[in-house]
Amino acid sequence: MALSHAESSWKGRVDTTFLAVTAGLLVVGSLAVVSAVRPMPHSAHIIIRHFAALAVGIAFFFFGFGFDYHVFEDQAKTIYAATLLMLLAVLIVGTTSHGHRAWLDFGFLSFQPAELARLFLILSLAAFLDRRERKIGKFSVVLGALALSLPIVGLILKQPDFSTALTFLPVIFGMLFCAGVSLTQLSVIMIFAGLTLSVPFVYTVCQVLYPHALAGSWPSLVIAAFIGGKTTLLLLGGGALVFAGLWRWAKWARLRADASLFLAGYLVLAGGLLAGIVVNRRLKPYQRDRFAAFVAPKQDLEGAAYHVRQSQIAIGSGGLLGKGLFEGTQSQLGFLPERHTDFIYAVIGEEMGFWGAVGVLLLYFLLVWRLAETARSARDRYGYLVCSGLAVMFGFELVLNVGMCVGLMPVAGIPLPLVSYGGSSLVIALWSLGIASNVHYKRYLLA
Amino acid sequence: MSRREVSFQSRGRLDAVLVLFSLAVGVLFLRLFQLQILDWANLTAAAERNRTEMIYQTAPRGFIYDRNGAVLATNRPMFSLIYLPSHKKLEDLRPLAQELAAQLRRDPRDILASLEEATQEDSVVRLAENLPPRVMFRLSELKPVYPGVDLVMEAERYYPLGDFASHLIGYVGRMDPRDWLKLRSEGYRLDSPVGRMGIEKVFESVLRGRDGAIRMEVDAQGRLKRQLDRIPWQPGDSLTLTVNASIQEVAESALRRTISGRGAAVVLDPRNGAVLALASTPDFNLNELAASAPPGERPANPADLPEFDRAISGTYAPGSTFKIVVGAAGLNEGRFTVNDTVFCPGYFKLGRRIFKCWTWDLYHRGHGVVNWWTGFAQSCDVYFYEMGLRTGGALIEKYAGLFGLGRLTRITLPGESPGHLFGPKTLASEGRPWYDGDTVNLSIGQGGMLVTPIQMAVLISAVANGGTLWRPHYVERVHYADGGPDYVQQPEKTGEVVLKPAVWQDLRQALRLVVTSGTAHGANIAGLDVRGKTGTAQNSAGRAHSWFVAYAGPPGQPPSVAVAVLVENGGESWVYAVPIARDIFKAAFGIGKPPPWASLGLRSKPAAAPPNRDIGGGRA
Repeated sequence: MALSHAESSWKGRVDTTFLAVTAGLLVVGSLAVVSAVRPMPHSAHIIIRHFAALAVGIAFFFFGFGFDYHVFEDQAKTIYAATLLMLLAVLIVGTTSHGHRAWLDFGFLSFQPAELARLFLILSLAAFLDRRERKIGKFSVVLGALALSLPIVGLILKQPDFSTALTFLPVIFGMLFCAGVSLTQLSVIMIFAGLTLSVPFVYTVCQVLYPHALAGSWPSLVIAAFIGGKTTLLLLGGGALVFAGLWRWAKWARLRADASLFLAGYLVLAGGLLAGIVVNRRLKPYQRDRFAAFVAPKQDLEGAAYHVRQSQIAIGSGGLLGKGLFEGTQSQLGFLPERHTDFIYAVIGEEMGFWGAVGVLLLYFLLVWRLAETARSARDRYGYLVCSGLAVMFGFELVLNVGMCVGLMPVAGIPLPLVSYGGSSLVIALWSLGIASNVHYKRYLLA
Repeated sequence: MSRREVSFQSRGRLDAVLVLFSLAVGVLFLRLFQLQILDWANLTAAAERNRTEMIYQTAPRGFIYDRNGAVLATNRPMFSLIYLPSHKKLEDLRPLAQELAAQLRRDPRDILASLEEATQEDSVVRLAENLPPRVMFRLSELKPVYPGVDLVMEAERYYPLGDFASHLIGYVGRMDPRDWLKLRSEGYRLDSPVGRMGIEKVFESVLRGRDGAIRMEVDAQGRLKRQLDRIPWQPGDSLTLTVNASIQEVAESALRRTISGRGAAVVLDPRNGAVLALASTPDFNLNELAASAPPGERPANPADLPEFDRAISGTYAPGSTFKIVVGAAGLNEGRFTVNDTVFCPGYFKLGRRIFKCWTWDLYHRGHGVVNWWTGFAQSCDVYFYEMGLRTGGALIEKYAGLFGLGRLTRITLPGESPGHLFGPKTLASEGRPWYDGDTVNLSIGQGGMLVTPIQMAVLISAVANGGTLWRPHYVERVHYADGGPDYVQQPEKTGEVVLKPAVWQDLRQALRLVVTSGTAHGANIAGLDVRGKTGTAQNSAGRAHSWFVAYAGPPGQPPSVAVAVLVENGGESWVYAVPIARDIFKAAFGIGKPPPWASLGLRSKPAAAPPNRDIGGGRA
């Protein structure tokens, strides 16, 4: 499918909208970071680090752009192995900050492998799905893709970085969806996962809303079930009996119900209980607080809910035109927490107003749209899958981060790529965009 | 490796993802619109609250002067210890509470509770007031150690005369938290002083002024960044009362010296209803109540409290003073004439019931043959039993109503009682019958008739001025702090008693005879035309309450002072009630030396305006 080289001019090869949008986000982000950092101690040092990371990121963008993306497909296994090694390394020799062991410290720079792991998962998962195009309708492919992702997500949960791990799920499911797997199979998986995860959700809600439940009341039973003691074993055994009994009864009543249905029901219960026990043992207090702040904001105005409230105040008080750069009282006087990283969007909302906040939203929308367009027009399926994964990744991080800042989502400690302060995030985001540009560049070329 | 192409199905899926993403972005857009456009005002206010800390300064209240410029209520500087909470953790407050408790000699747990409340509510708390200088200096050393602790100078209410006219002036105090919920919209803070009684309560909005504040910018840790601005306070408006401090002091001292120490005296100007004195004992020291008014334990009966104002809230049988009303009714309606005579043997028979004259118990004899003049002057009960029966209960009740009994005088003070009318009409409305025996009792002001001292003062004023019922008022003028023209109180009529001129003549003549040759000759002052009527009101609680209602003026001139004196359980009127009225008249007309026990260190009005800068300005 050869095309003439008449279209291979610079203009056709490079997506100028895409470049302009990226540059716009970088400019707005840098302004906000400088403004947010200025009143802090060592502000000059932080600002220098930011621009150094920006320079490295731009280098990586061109590195990604000039590098044929097919190499990633050919070397998918190597990339996957490298990801696992990197995540194992961070668990062994990583440095701890904010309660999770997530950084690799190289002296002059520290690096967050989870950010890179997400890009590498996209690259290797795309290869996995691309190679199984003909078998895409089979359930084994879905299970295989999940099996591939599970170790990576599990290692990140082990750090434990719950928020970052959370950002992997939409990427995985989004790529499966875009790869064209059977919707029925995808739904079954998602329903199963949803049901299983909703059990610890119910447990956490009970724990937050009824912290002093009396023994014997239903919330106390629910809480007891997840401590992993007698109640759990009783529930597991009792559940097995109940589902077996139901199956026997269905047979007796000639309901023609399949045995797998009852098995699945029991698996949901068992999986939920196990997930709940994991949540109970693994969830850090601050994570529980964040969740509590989302479920019952009135109960805890000092902790996480205080942060959400301050963020909303910052954004709302910005009004239409904003208070002006360096003039935001919420950010400059320190009422806004994590203002140069996770809550940078609130700084933009306060100092640049409605127009600034909507502008970032619009730029991001254009970015995701251009990524989707790149995927659509990709030369091959691998490029399509990689760009789809990137589009889902950027889109989901925007929704999660901005949703948190405006109080529509629970507090998750993830940055807004390209805008927040944070070297790893910035460099990897720019590299990802470089790879996408390469996909765009190569769209008419034969490999 | 062969490259695979993208299927159309896959592209459709990508579109679905894009649609989902667009919807999410749309929701975020709407949320931004809600926060930044719709809720902008609220959230801006919240941001302002975050970054500003106000140090309020209570404005000096308006002064209260008597009619001659004597200062009755003023302000003095006061140092208070306040705590501005920062966003620190509750555990950090413990050492501060310990330190302060040692200095203030208070329970550290109480202080910790206040500190925690302040931190949670994010509001300034007043830890101590009225600090002695030594403690103040030691506390000022704590300021750099514990950010948030501060000393402020404020204006505190001060009553130079202490227990003077306590019921009328009232006092200020801390408000009830429930009241604060209603008052917060008017700019009150939980620790704002508010008038809780008397003039301080009624004229709260006039006297209060507007509080000042220092607005400061603070960061999230509560560290002060800079001073934003100062809002100067505006002192309250001052009042000049119609009250004459010398008369008030004479009345109060005399009442305190009575046998029971419980009583009331109301002095009015009969020409316009201006209150010259309004005294009730027992009374209380305003400064002690103003400093701290703890709710504490209250007696079950409010009349047992010193705060109970007998002058307007105490109700008593009028006794023989009511004979004024009986005479006015009978003479004006022609039921009897001044020349009709009655023989008084010391008792009166109605059917098989016997009603005694007051002389019977004392002297075991009667007044003999009496007419209007002798009967009124000697207060002969038998004469009035007879004339009361001739007039009839219905007419007496009607005239009592005309003279303002049974309804409020509408003096602007909280807690006034309307008393209770007694007569055939009132009893019929209560579903009870009326007998002639009731008429006999009513004729000498007994039975169910209940009046307040201020009602009797208004009644006797009406006799003095020819029938006008004035609404008693005690404010002469309001001096506005902003320099605007004074507001001058105008007298207000609440009723008019229309009698034949001859009847007024007969009444006043009889009242004069009471003083010259009757029961109240103790009130006869040379060079003054005093007229009045005594009364003793039987009651269940021991000795009779004694009454004296009177008015006076220089001979030949319209009367200018009217009094109603009541002494609870005072016995015969000439023992306590009449001498008190005599002293009041002497003080009012400047006759003779004031009694030695009634000396008053009256201060004159200061020449300058209330000292704005000296009292309570600035952070200490």
